[in-house]
This record gives sequence, structure tokens and C-alpha cells, in this order.
Amino acid sequence: MEIKKLLFVTRFDNLRFDALQSLMDLKKAALSHVVFLNVIERDKVAMRRGKGYEKGAEIRLREKANIRFIDWAETLFEQGMEVGVYIVVGSFAGQVIQAAEKESVDLIVLSPERKGRLEQLYSGSDITEIVHRSATPVLVYKYLSQKGPLAENPFEKPLLATNWSEASQRAIDYLKSLKAVIREVDVVHVASEKDLKETSAMGIQKTRKENRKKLDALCDDLEDYGITAKPHVYIGDPVSEIDKGARECQSSMIIAGSPRKSLWKDRWGTSIGKGLAEQSIFPVLLIPPKEG
Amino acid sequence: MSKKVLIVDDDPDVRLFNTTVVEESGYIPIEAANGEEGLKIIKKDRPDLVVLDVLMPKQSGIRLYRELKTDKDLVGIPVIILSGVAKRTFLRSQKALTEFGDKPVPEPENYMEKPVEPDELAREIKKFLG
Repeated sequence: MEIKKLLFVTRFDNLRFDALQSLMDLKKAALSHVVFLNVIERDKVAMRRGKGYEKGAEIRLREKANIRFIDWAETLFEQGMEVGVYIVVGSFAGQVIQAAEKESVDLIVLSPERKGRLEQLYSGSDITEIVHRSATPVLVYKYLSQKGPLAENPFEKPLLATNWSEASQRAIDYLKSLKAVIREVDVVHVASEKDLKETSAMGIQKTRKENRKKLDALCDDLEDYGITAKPHVYIGDPVSEIDKGARECQSSMIIAGSPRKSLWKDRWGTSIGKGLAEQSIFPVLLIPPKEG
Repeated sequence: MSKKVLIVDDDPDVRLFNTTVVEESGYIPIEAANGEEGLKIIKKDRPDLVVLDVLMPKQSGIRLYRELKTDKDLVGIPVIILSGVAKRTFLRSQKALTEFGDKPVPEPENYMEKPVEPDELAREIKKFLG
């Protein structure tokens, strides 16, 4: 599961070329091909009363995106990278999934959700839809500083959140394929209050001990693989505990498996992946389970 | 028999412009929307000239050009690069790929930066096909 080809989805406001450059360390882990995608959403060129479809607006938006992509592509081409480009009109999530499938990419990079909570309730979250409908891992990129990304590589010191699910296992496999770019990983399991076996101190410690043992085994496995790993067990709300853990560990990003749930259930805000993507200040890499 | 010109470009408007120029110059245009499709057509139809864009989905013109110029059966097909990407970038990228261990490739027969006037393109095509 190497990252050879990534799809960089941008609207040019929250995700710029400097973000892509901060991911260029992935070249050490096989990255050789970047595909740019700009989706011109229908409302930008929609039919207006008395005007019809605004072809002129579409051409202007296309050319604006094209000129920016040529500029970015020139830098990457000169580094010996392969570059492709799509500028399309349509629904955001649908076009991202289509381009990811056409190009068989190994990673989708996009900016955080732009839709508000209310809009998500009736039309759904784009990121959730992409994670649900595509088997490709999704990196929700966030700038760690207001001035832009730190020069560091977000993959340098990730925090891996695991709940022992199939998607978590896939996240571990994915992480192993990135060992050339990872300096150290903090592995976290958050037991929610309802997972505690008993309310006594002994019972709570028992839950910690069981999970810690599993984490130790996982960290040993990662270290055998050449990745320095440190285990942590927390108790509480998974989203806020993972985010807190990432701050304490000074992580560069959060990696989490994203189990398949019904889109409808996710729309009401129950998934950890969605919570992290929306609430955490860190870049979040969501790994869906395999298709089928 | 009329000579065949393969136009490789992902932009349908550019393809339409180029095919019109080719037809009006008396040649047969063939179209491909990306480098991957272009290579398949080149192997199947063996065009007399390729007009090639650089920045495209699936496979860029940089890689397709490299495939052509390192294949002993295809190396003789002349290529006009017609792109928004600067010639200097094209040459540097080929140099970078050679430094990474690929075979060296010659400079393209002609390099035109978009946009071009129809007469200008027609003139360059005729230089190769007579």
C-alpha cells in the first residue's frame, strides 16, 4: 500500500501549493505522480433567470485554475515528477471520487469541510461522502500555523488512533508503508466511558491494562518494522481525547481508520473520523476499510 | 494517401481548433484526450506527426514524449509540442528524468507555447509533412 500517486483537490483558498510542498517528503516513500483537481461547483456557473448557463463564467474559472496549475506543475515537472490535471464542473464529492477512480490514486488530499453544520444536515458532508464511497485514504489537510504550513512534513510524527477495527488495521498497514518518511509515531487507544468494564478503580485499570498490552504488542511490531512507536491509553470522548493526545505528543498529524457506517448515520454526527476532520486542529488522514 | 496527424490534448476546445487546422491543411486528424490514449493510437495507427500537449490526466506529454523517443520503432515520428508549459520546464524535466536513470532523449522537433494562431500551427505542420 504505497503512496505513488496522490490527488490534490483544491479550491485555491484553503489548500495551496505550499501545502503540497510540505508533503513532498513522500517522495522517499515512492510518491512520483501528483494529479491536481479543481471542481467548479455548479452554483458558480448555474442557470440564472434571463441569463441561462454562464459559459463565460465557466471559461474564466477554468482558465484561472489552469494558469495556477501550470505554474505548480512546472515546479513539479522540473523535479522529475509526473503531473496530471482535471478541471471539471459538477458536484464536489462526486467529481473527487470519479477522478480518484480514473487515476487509481493512493491518497486524496483535500481541505476541511466548507459546508456548515446546517447545510450538512440536508445535503451531507462532502468529506464523509468521499470516505464512504471511495476505498482511497483521505488526508484532510490543515495548516498548523496561520502563516501557512510549517516547513515540516506532516507525516514526520503522526499520532495513530486505533480502536482495533478492520479499518484501524488497514491504517497500521498504511503507516508501515510510510516508514521512510516517519520519524516516530504515537499510538493511541481511547476507551470510551461506556467501554469500561466496571466503575471501580480496579475495573478501570483493568481496561487500561488490557488495551495497553495490545498497544505494546502493536508498538513492538512497528519497531520491528523500523518505526519508533510509543503507546498511550486514554479514557473519555474519542474525538477530544485524540485531539488532546496529539497536542500533548506534539504530533504532526492524526491517522485513523474510518469504519463504514451508513451515510445517513454519519450525517447526524456520530463518526470519530468526521469529528476529527471537523474539530481537530491537526491534519487528519482517514483510512477507509477495503472495498467489498 | 493523406498523411495522419495525431492531436493529443485533454481540452476538447483545443482539440477542435487543432483538428480544424489539420483538416484545412489537407491532412487527416486523429484525436486522443491524454498521453495513455495517445500512445495506444500511435502504436496502432502510426501517425506521420504528433501534436502533443504536456499537462494532461493519465499520462503527461513529458512521459509520452519520452516513450516515443526511447522506442526504436517510434523515434522517427516527429513531434510538435503545443502547450502552456514553458519549453524550459519541458527540457529541465527531461533532464531530471535522465538524471534519475532514464535514457536521454533529444529535444522536440518543434515547441510552441499556447496560444498559437491557426496559420502559425498550419505552417509548422507543413514543414514536417510537406
